[in-house]
Amino acid sequence: MRTAALKPVIPGFGLTMGFSVLYLSLLLIIPVAGLILFTLQMSWEDFWRAVSHPQVVASYKLSFLASFIGASINAVFGTLVAWVLVRYRFPGKRIIDGLVDLPFALPTAVAGIALVTLYAGTGWVGQYFEPFGIRIAYSQIGVVIALTYIGLPFVVRTVQPVLADFEKELEEASAALGANRLTTIRRVIFPAILPALLTGYALAFARAVGEYGSVIFISGNLPYRTEITPLLIVAKAEQYDYHGAAAIGVVMLGAAFILLLLINGLQWWASRRG
Amino acid sequence: MSIHIEGVNKRFGDFVAVDNVNLDIKTGELTALLGPSGSGKTTLLRIIAGLEHPDSGVIRFNSEDITGQHVSERGVGFVFQHYALFKHMTVFENVAYGLTVKPKKLRPSKAEIAKKVNKLLELVQLDWTADRYPSQLSGGQRQRIALARALAVEPKVLLLDEPFGALDAKVRAELRRWLRRLHDEIHVTSVFVTHDQEEALEVADRIVVMNKGRIEQDGTPEQVYDNPANPFVYEFLGNVNLFHARVKASGETKFTSASDDTAQQADEQDGLAYVRAHEIEVLTSAEPDALPVTLDLITMVGPTARLEVLNQQDGKLVHIELPKEQFKALNLKSGDAAWIKPKYSQVFLGEGI
Repeated sequence: MRTAALKPVIPGFGLTMGFSVLYLSLLLIIPVAGLILFTLQMSWEDFWRAVSHPQVVASYKLSFLASFIGASINAVFGTLVAWVLVRYRFPGKRIIDGLVDLPFALPTAVAGIALVTLYAGTGWVGQYFEPFGIRIAYSQIGVVIALTYIGLPFVVRTVQPVLADFEKELEEASAALGANRLTTIRRVIFPAILPALLTGYALAFARAVGEYGSVIFISGNLPYRTEITPLLIVAKAEQYDYHGAAAIGVVMLGAAFILLLLINGLQWWASRRG
Repeated sequence: MSIHIEGVNKRFGDFVAVDNVNLDIKTGELTALLGPSGSGKTTLLRIIAGLEHPDSGVIRFNSEDITGQHVSERGVGFVFQHYALFKHMTVFENVAYGLTVKPKKLRPSKAEIAKKVNKLLELVQLDWTADRYPSQLSGGQRQRIALARALAVEPKVLLLDEPFGALDAKVRAELRRWLRRLHDEIHVTSVFVTHDQEEALEVADRIVVMNKGRIEQDGTPEQVYDNPANPFVYEFLGNVNLFHARVKASGETKFTSASDDTAQQADEQDGLAYVRAHEIEVLTSAEPDALPVTLDLITMVGPTARLEVLNQQDGKLVHIELPKEQFKALNLKSGDAAWIKPKYSQVFLGEGI
């Protein structure tokens, strides 16, 4: 039976849906499918050789481990920044709030050069670590720093609105029931922001795995030590080894997909209890 | 546990929220802090709880000065207007929270906690919701859970901040009767904040009327309703009409209008008479001392007829409530002339009070 009530408020479902599908296809599905199809032209042996070369495996380890560390650092300190921005009033708050978005806005190559200037053995920060034999630039620490820098806004921007919406009464209720501050944070505030935190974590991690521009300057790109996977893809492509590059790309794609699935599962588990 | 508030002041910037308040609340009493918004009633409640700190003054529980104590050490149960239940915890976990956060030495065993929580859930008649999450409950149910949670730690004092304010009228009426019965059962010293005079009159043993950070009146519901201490309390407790009046030294009162310019007699004093809407008699013929009026608007609200009539002398609006049957018997309709006569009034002397 047709009734007026069944008609949606905004007309044109067919048109908008069609456009959305086309748009997403052009932007996401076709390139990914193309990448996979392109790889399928390779024989299994060639594929395996390309993706399991020790130099490539070393780069997977670095890329995923450094992204993991970077996202974890951001989970802790990004939450802290979000907390300070939501809970306190201080001069220059708006400026700091705006600065958080800098990694979004600044071209990554510029960021990379800035980081290398800071952390090189002669740089402003690097010179204080050099005497202790700690090299930041051109080492794996440098990679972690670049990936931490690039992921910060994701955690802050996902946690901040949740903290802002968090009812102060819940903290007061917890305190009135005899809980100390630490218990209140652990049992009341943290569970409330956990789903958002996991989202931010996943986004920061995904961004870090794919990051190229800001890392290649500070890492020094030493084979087996500070080469990230995206760099190897570019290197292969520059040598006209498009199949090799695509093969590594597919591995990255698969890994990123599995990780996102995992984190989404965690998120679902965390929010299901709300 | 009795509560003693001595010379408490609290400002927020330039705004004086609580202005030198002194109040004693007896053990086991259910007291209502009643006032309009911004009267300082919630701030005073939060100061008792330890959620706000007074700028000056002392709060004592029995004789112990607890002004400097943190809210978590005061042993108060606090119920919030918007429930403040922990959304990620089940009803059971919410009620158990206060027990599970106790230091290890004082914490009851799991079995004891479960026993106590189940008992409390029975008390609030919601034992079947133990495994649900707050989002699966209605507003009234949530507030009962919030109350059970506050009672779990066996508070010395129970404080409720507009506990029924977020609920719809029917649930609100049910819950306040229920709170009254509950208080009769457990007898914990309780203070609740409300802006609803009916709620305060129905539930409380004692009403403290607040305005602009001060206490206007403090007494039993009957005292406060029948003998309002000043015009503010009168106006706040119910629908009230204002008449100009002249009071003779003998106590005899004559109602006049603002435009009355007949010479004031030597033994007369000007004043304002407060008459509640249901304390006005409607007549169809003139009588001595009755004021002529014109019927303007007639509304039937259930068993009551609500009339808005215009004072023929000064054109002022007067609200009247009377039983529907009685109004029908008068056989009046909109636009008709009638006479009104206050049956009972309270006169406050002095012009422009």
